[in-house]
Amino acid sequence: MEDYADMVRRICLVHLKNRHDTEDVFQNVYMKYLLYEGSFESREHEKAWFARVTINACTDWLRSLSRRKWVPLSVLNEESRSLDEESAEILESVLKLPEKYRNVIYLHYFEGYSAVEIAGILGRKENTIYTWLSRAKEMLRKRLGGEQA
Amino acid sequence: MSTMRDGIRQSMREIRASEELKQNTLRYLQEQREKQDRKQKLFPGNRHAGFRYVLAVFCLFFLMGTGGFFVYNRPVSYISIDVNPSIELGINCFGRVVSAQGYNADGRDIVQHVRLKNISYIQAIDRLLGDAHYSRFLEGNAKPVFTVISGDPDTMMEAINADNSFQAYGGVVYSSDMTCMKEAHQHEMSFGKYRACLELLQYDESITVESCHAMTMGEIQSRIETCREHNGNGEGSGGGNHGGGSGHGHHGGMH
Repeated sequence: MEDYADMVRRICLVHLKNRHDTEDVFQNVYMKYLLYEGSFESREHEKAWFARVTINACTDWLRSLSRRKWVPLSVLNEESRSLDEESAEILESVLKLPEKYRNVIYLHYFEGYSAVEIAGILGRKENTIYTWLSRAKEMLRKRLGGEQA
Repeated sequence: MSTMRDGIRQSMREIRASEELKQNTLRYLQEQREKQDRKQKLFPGNRHAGFRYVLAVFCLFFLMGTGGFFVYNRPVSYISIDVNPSIELGINCFGRVVSAQGYNADGRDIVQHVRLKNISYIQAIDRLLGDAHYSRFLEGNAKPVFTVISGDPDTMMEAINADNSFQAYGGVVYSSDMTCMKEAHQHEMSFGKYRACLELLQYDESITVESCHAMTMGEIQSRIETCREHNGNGEGSGGGNHGGGSGHGHHGGMH
């Protein structure tokens, strides 16, 4: 659990509204891992599996609760104690992005996945990921006033 | 863009799965595993065994349901009831009427207005003969003629013979077979009326099936009686045996 718990938690943060939802999805993801009957070719494969399953679990969770359109800013209140002002501002800007852009920004900038790898995780075309990344960067640049660009 | 990357990394780095979250998850997984173990004890084999068991039971009930429905609705015996209305009843293996079809306008009218299905064939006969509209056809000398096709015709004929309504109207009962029924339906007649036609043809070669089609059952029966008497007094062939001589050799009469 130690290996991917933080990543699962961060993906949940990008999608979900509060710690209760996060805990439910977090548990679901590890339950799926427990029941998974396939084998992983490598640790990278396992990590990508966790990323994909967590994103799908979050999406399913929001869909089932019809909360898809919300922006997960309230989690900032829960997390703000551990963040300095600049980090909180950046995180807020990321969380204000549309859901699909939040995913690619997190996977690309934090987890270091390439567009090709993100396309594999999200089950999208490579060109789509390039487009999303480009638009997400542009939106973030505007929101952060250019000083981060 | 490296600044943005660093900023995002820095902001995300502090987001971690708390110990509380991990412990709660471990507890949840432990509970789920225990539940799974209990299921495994109930349905040993693999974790889909329970589902397979439920599926198997469902399939069994489904097959029993559809199989039962098929068996119930499959006629194994037939009774043709002819006066002027010609009606054929299909009887299932439980002795219940599962089909009722009229073979002329009067027969179709009766079938539409008298509920004959899903009751025993004796009840259906009682209901039919007791129906005010149907009993109009039994006025005068008209007698209901019953013709039976069955694997065990004797039992069915005895049951019909013992019926009070049948006796009250002085009905007659014959047996026939599936070949006769197929030929009858090709001529758009009930197999009871067709059997009577074939019998009449034995006595009177000028008669055709087409001409029988236009006659009522009473008229056919009356002509048969006349021919029998004539043959009995004169030529002495084929007489006195109700239902005999249809050409199929199975139409032994009984009344």
